[in-house]
Amino acid sequence: MFKQFTENIDGKQVYLISSMGIFILFFLMVGFILIRLRKAHVQYMSELPLKDSLEN
Amino acid sequence: MQPEKFYYDNKIVRNFALATIIWGIIGMLVGLLIAMQLYKPAMNLGNQYTSFGRIRPLHTNAVIFAFVGNAIFMGVYYSIQRLLKARMFSDLLSKIHFWGWQLIIVSAVITLPLGITTSHEYAELEWPIDILITLVWVVFGFNLFGTILKRRERHLYVAIWFYIATFVTVAVLHIVNSVELPIGLWKSYYVYAGVQDALVQWWYGHNAVAFFLTTPYLGMMYYFLPKMAGRPIYSYRLSILHFWALIFIYIWAGPHHLLYTPLPGWAQSLGVVFSVMLIAPSWGGMINGLLTLRGAWDKVREDVILKFMVVGLTCYGMATFEGPMLALKQVNAIAHYSDWIIAHVHVGALGWNGFLTFAILYWLIPRIYNTSLYSKKLASTHFWLGTLGIIFYVVPMYWSGFTQSLMLKEFTPEGLLKYPNFLETTLRIIPMYIMRSIGGTLYLLGVILMAYNLFKTMLAGKLVPNEAAQAFALEPLANQGNLENQEKWHKVLERKPIRFLILSLVAILIGTFIELMPTLTISSNIPTISSVKPYTPLELHGRDIYIREGCVGCHSQAIRPFRSETERYGEYSKAGEFVYDHPFLWGSKRTGPDLQREGGKYGNSWHYNHLLDPRSMSPGSIMPSYSWLIKQELDTSHTELKINAMRTLGVPYALGYEKIANQDLQKQEQIISQDLAANHIRVKPNQEVIALIAYLQRLGTDIKNYKKTGK
Repeated sequence: MFKQFTENIDGKQVYLISSMGIFILFFLMVGFILIRLRKAHVQYMSELPLKDSLEN
Repeated sequence: MQPEKFYYDNKIVRNFALATIIWGIIGMLVGLLIAMQLYKPAMNLGNQYTSFGRIRPLHTNAVIFAFVGNAIFMGVYYSIQRLLKARMFSDLLSKIHFWGWQLIIVSAVITLPLGITTSHEYAELEWPIDILITLVWVVFGFNLFGTILKRRERHLYVAIWFYIATFVTVAVLHIVNSVELPIGLWKSYYVYAGVQDALVQWWYGHNAVAFFLTTPYLGMMYYFLPKMAGRPIYSYRLSILHFWALIFIYIWAGPHHLLYTPLPGWAQSLGVVFSVMLIAPSWGGMINGLLTLRGAWDKVREDVILKFMVVGLTCYGMATFEGPMLALKQVNAIAHYSDWIIAHVHVGALGWNGFLTFAILYWLIPRIYNTSLYSKKLASTHFWLGTLGIIFYVVPMYWSGFTQSLMLKEFTPEGLLKYPNFLETTLRIIPMYIMRSIGGTLYLLGVILMAYNLFKTMLAGKLVPNEAAQAFALEPLANQGNLENQEKWHKVLERKPIRFLILSLVAILIGTFIELMPTLTISSNIPTISSVKPYTPLELHGRDIYIREGCVGCHSQAIRPFRSETERYGEYSKAGEFVYDHPFLWGSKRTGPDLQREGGKYGNSWHYNHLLDPRSMSPGSIMPSYSWLIKQELDTSHTELKINAMRTLGVPYALGYEKIANQDLQKQEQIISQDLAANHIRVKPNQEVIALIAYLQRLGTDIKNYKKTGK
């Protein structure tokens, strides 16, 4: 099944490998930010849609 | 500190809601008409303005940009004011946005039936309307960011992230896919040709699905679902991961629309890999939505609005699982060009976009009219009609897709095609087409019920055009102690909206550059073929008629390297064959056979008779008749402009050729009309049909000549 990815790229593996690298880096960055988020902040944010106005 | 009193603008929300309902019904009615045309050619109504090729884009544009577009603005204008505790930045910009958008839609309704089209799917509108779209989008952007900048809530909820990504990405997609060279007020040629044009188009096309049909709806889901369920979203952390992963990955997936085409293999592979990865964020979003209802499933049993949301989210889950599967080459080999794709698209459009829109309308209209819904029973009937409609629509389309694809690929034990005549496979799936239109009718009936229910609701209540609200003005950050340090990452990400916009832009541009730039700039990606020559002036005109009539909606011009296709259609497509094709015309659906090697297959008289009455040549054919081509004279006043434009775009017409092009054109007209006369068909040489025949007879012949002469 994975042959199609390795055979059809005519020596242009650099595009695939660099793309995967960029994605992993990006994913780790977002993961790091998520871990650093404070619980109180997350709770505040998730309740925002439920507060339209001070009266609500 | 005293809270500030201000008013939410509900009138603009109501206007977009009305437009959503009205255009939704119109768009779906056109959809129903084209569905019936596919089994009853008389439904083409015997004139050029209602023929399938011209109004199929009207259906897609109406449901995507008119129905879904207005629904997006309705949801965004309602939610963003409340999430930011601020009225929209400018009532005037809101009005310009609303009326500008309706003007774009009306322009589409007029120009598409007239055959004014660029032929790029979901980007068919010609350049003056493209400019209007850009202006209106900028107005929307100003209003959006103006509201964000004058907000009373420091934090931007994740829904707003999705809106910002939608705004910026749609702007990029629209501009890049609209780079055209005008040759008149209503005609232009894309600057890209062949493979490059295909790549740009499907980078656009796929991301129109991503950033018009998906991200704004996800934003709306993250706002409206908690409101409807009365509880916060299941995981805010997951929503952030969902957002970044989705916008980063989606932008790469476009090439899965071009598998087995002459697009460079590495670009196809990138498209496949990122498409498969898309399951993760898409399902993350769906699960986040569904789990928001954990512990509230009893409410789902009672509340029809939540029922719509649950089915909508489930359809999103199904479509986003199916999408990556369809991107696998082995699956794509069967599904591409078939009704399977139509089924896939409609699970998303009818289920995800449709049902979410209905849920939001049912929730929002009673609130802004300060009343309750006129009839819950009618809404419930709508829900069941809609759900049954989806099932009756998609099941026959899956069935039809599998059946036709497998028939087209079947060989006899002797190694010959079992169904050499394409029409045989079409006739087999006609019952599915009939079933599909029943499904569509059920769905549309539901929408009409909803319209009645909502109009009665509006009549029972009174619009609250300005809804009073209170919130504290934003305090300067200096007063908030060390909170600043604790929220460093949050500040970097979303406290500065313009910076956030740039970050989103960077996320989508990474994939765009890596994928598009090599194909657009490195010539070795598109090997040329010496025997491929520019079109003659008459063929060029014929090609423009082919574009005008929307032939590309049913006929592909891209033969994949499968034996079942090379046996049926001839040599598979090569990149170098399309270098003069502005725009490319590969198509995405084969309701009829591929035409890339059509040239020389039949005589001119066959084409003449077939265009005049397809059933006279192919009994049972579902192709519309093109009788007007025999009555209308070819307009050759633009020949010079067309040749000049093509030369500007790199097509090697000799300097000065534009001056004598019409002479060559007339000579070729004479040859074809004399040949027709020899076959007892009397037609004036300057009729449009002659140009179209010239184009059809040219298709694929360059490669045939190459094989004969070796040059």
